[in-house]
Amino acid sequence: MARRYDSRTTIFSPEGKLYQVEYAMEAISHAGTVLGLLAKDGVVLAAEKKVTGKLLDLSATKEGGYGGSGEKIFLLSSNVIGGLAGLTADANSLVNFARTAAQRHLLAYDEDIPVELLAQRLCDMKQGYTQFGGLRPFGVSLLYAGYDPHYQFQLYRSDPSGNYSGWKATCIGANNGTAQSLLKQEYKDDIEVKDAIGLALRTMSKTMDSTTLGSEKCRRSAVEFAVLTLDPVTGKPKAKIYRPAEIDLLLEKEGLAKKDEDTEMKAA
Amino acid sequence: MNTLVQRFSTTSAQSEINKAKALAADDQDFDDFAWGSEAGFGTIAKGVPTFSLPAVPDPRAFLRLHTDDHADPNCRIKIQHGTTTLAFRFKGGVIVAVDSRATAGSYIASGTVKKVIEINPYLLGTMAGGAADCQFWETYLGMHCRLHELRNRERISVSAASKYLSNLVYNYKGMGLSMGTMICGWDKTGPSVFYVDSDGTRLKGNLFSVGSGSTHAYGVLDQGYHWDLSDEDAQELGRRSIYAAGHRDAYSGNTCNLYHIKEDGWHFIGNYDISKMHYEGPGNVPGSENVGYGYDVRVVGRSSANPPPSAPTPVVAA
Amino acid sequence: METSFAITGKGYVIVAADTTASRSIIKMKTDEDKVKTLSPHLLMAYSGEPGDTVHFAEYVERNIRLYQIRNLYPLRPSAAAAWIRRALATSLRSRSPYSVNLLVGGYDTASHDPHLYWIDFLGTMTEVPFAAHGYGAYFALSLLDRYHDPEASLEDGLIALKRCIRQVEERLVVTPGKYKVKVVSKDGIQEIDL
Repeated sequence: MARRYDSRTTIFSPEGKLYQVEYAMEAISHAGTVLGLLAKDGVVLAAEKKVTGKLLDLSATKEGGYGGSGEKIFLLSSNVIGGLAGLTADANSLVNFARTAAQRHLLAYDEDIPVELLAQRLCDMKQGYTQFGGLRPFGVSLLYAGYDPHYQFQLYRSDPSGNYSGWKATCIGANNGTAQSLLKQEYKDDIEVKDAIGLALRTMSKTMDSTTLGSEKCRRSAVEFAVLTLDPVTGKPKAKIYRPAEIDLLLEKEGLAKKDEDTEMKAA
Repeated sequence: MNTLVQRFSTTSAQSEINKAKALAADDQDFDDFAWGSEAGFGTIAKGVPTFSLPAVPDPRAFLRLHTDDHADPNCRIKIQHGTTTLAFRFKGGVIVAVDSRATAGSYIASGTVKKVIEINPYLLGTMAGGAADCQFWETYLGMHCRLHELRNRERISVSAASKYLSNLVYNYKGMGLSMGTMICGWDKTGPSVFYVDSDGTRLKGNLFSVGSGSTHAYGVLDQGYHWDLSDEDAQELGRRSIYAAGHRDAYSGNTCNLYHIKEDGWHFIGNYDISKMHYEGPGNVPGSENVGYGYDVRVVGRSSANPPPSAPTPVVAA
Repeated sequence: METSFAITGKGYVIVAADTTASRSIIKMKTDEDKVKTLSPHLLMAYSGEPGDTVHFAEYVERNIRLYQIRNLYPLRPSAAAAWIRRALATSLRSRSPYSVNLLVGGYDTASHDPHLYWIDFLGTMTEVPFAAHGYGAYFALSLLDRYHDPEASLEDGLIALKRCIRQVEERLVVTPGKYKVKVVSKDGIQEIDL
């Protein structure tokens, strides 16, 4: 039945659905989880990265870019970090678009792009891909963690349809329902970044398939992590995307680190 | 001498030139008077007549930039067009203050020019426009002031001296003179200031400023001026006004020379570096608080920001 | 001889422009308002080539308004000035450039401070504590170097403005005449009768 209405994006089904868009969202619900937390003095992003195999060489990406391994979390502008869930190839294209949009704003207005405006820019394009014939929607949901002087720290989420909304704490990707209800229980309005980091990681560890977390060493899944705060000296937003070693340190501090199998065996 | 005889012994024009060339190469055979002038043989020595051209891509534009065919079609070299000079009369006498920059086009030709001409112990003239014109005619004026003294057994009045200069330059009107000067002094009538320029204008007044920086100087001078200024305050006002012009006008600057004319004639008060006045002030001189005149120096630490009093610790002012 | 002034003080910017509209040696109008309100906390004084001025000012006004409608909040003064500067700079290299000089003054409600930008027809922009365009600049800038106070009350700011106007009246051959004076502060924009 649905066959007749899902081969093109531009056609509504008799029930009023756009199947391709819904399938795109479905694809995302299998992708690695990304969750965001808005705190009083910053925003926190955590992401689950699926590591495909032992032989995958991550040595080149490990310390590259702005830290982290750059698969799920990207710096979109100096005041916005983005967490992406979905098709990596689509995501890369969107990241490129977002960065270009942010720089265009900087060029025109000599200021960092307001966070909501950046989300709007991406959603305008995403929406376009659900309407104009022959194209496939982007299989990507995004979290935007950012700061601007109009509304201070903000967290937005957008999906393949081109919808976006603002959140205090939210989650996209696999098990996002579980994570969301966990966050709903634990989140407090005046939470600070130092507590938000713990909450994000704890929620992450409960949602992910493996029981313990790691940055790279744990092969099945790893965590990416980033925080946006204000630089106490300059008062300007400062994005920190954690490097693998820093994430391990963080996990250890929170008591969530995976015990190293090798050392255990040696001890035995 | 022998070679000279040889030269004129031949009639062929070509051989004449050849010989002259050989002569020019052999400098020893020229007498001393011929040095630099080529003794009238310049064109012969080089074979063909040539023009000297400035070594620039566009000599015409270069010439236009460095000459003044607007004031005088005969294209004199452009000099001393940027300047700031001022003089004002007050109860304590006359203050004369000038900058010391000489420019030729966009080039700073000198930073240590004396723009106050000391005509005699009771008369000062300022210099704006053509430096040579001012120097020449004001010195010439000095000569006539002295002759006046010798003939009439009394010093010339400032009014008469300035009238003399005014009449003199008027005779040269339209011939390219360029002067804008203040003749200042003390005579039987007390302190006085006259403005005289090469158009033939002559004005009596309390307060004048001349030159490209004059508007900037007026901005400070007019606001601070009144007749009952103390000597120290008047000197400070002169300094500050020249500083203002030196700061804002690109064609004025370097240093400020300050004179004070009292009943016993003029006194040189001092020479002040304009950059130093900007950052540190004029030094320990009467009338000055000895802090920098510069805007940034004056308002350091002051802010126009107006955060609401109830504001929590500023989240940020990005 | 068109003249405009702008002066910042404690929590405000005063923007003033003469009210004369002239064509060659003739005064066509003596109550022309050359200070435009661009948003609740933004003022712009414009002067220059007749025709270009109003045309460009309205173009700016509409675009600034459009941004406010789209985003529900107006551009901050710094962002608005940057946009205006770019519009002028782009126009400079077009077939018919706008010959307009601007003073953009605004109050940033996010950082609680006044901002003033001096912009010329070439697209040069600089943020300054006080500014002037036209022949008035030759008299007022040195005066304000001497008398401007960044923390002056509005009353004292207006006294400084009056000093400038008086100085120009005293020394400039063709005096502009009346001035339109507007102030922008945290409370918005208000017109002042000198």
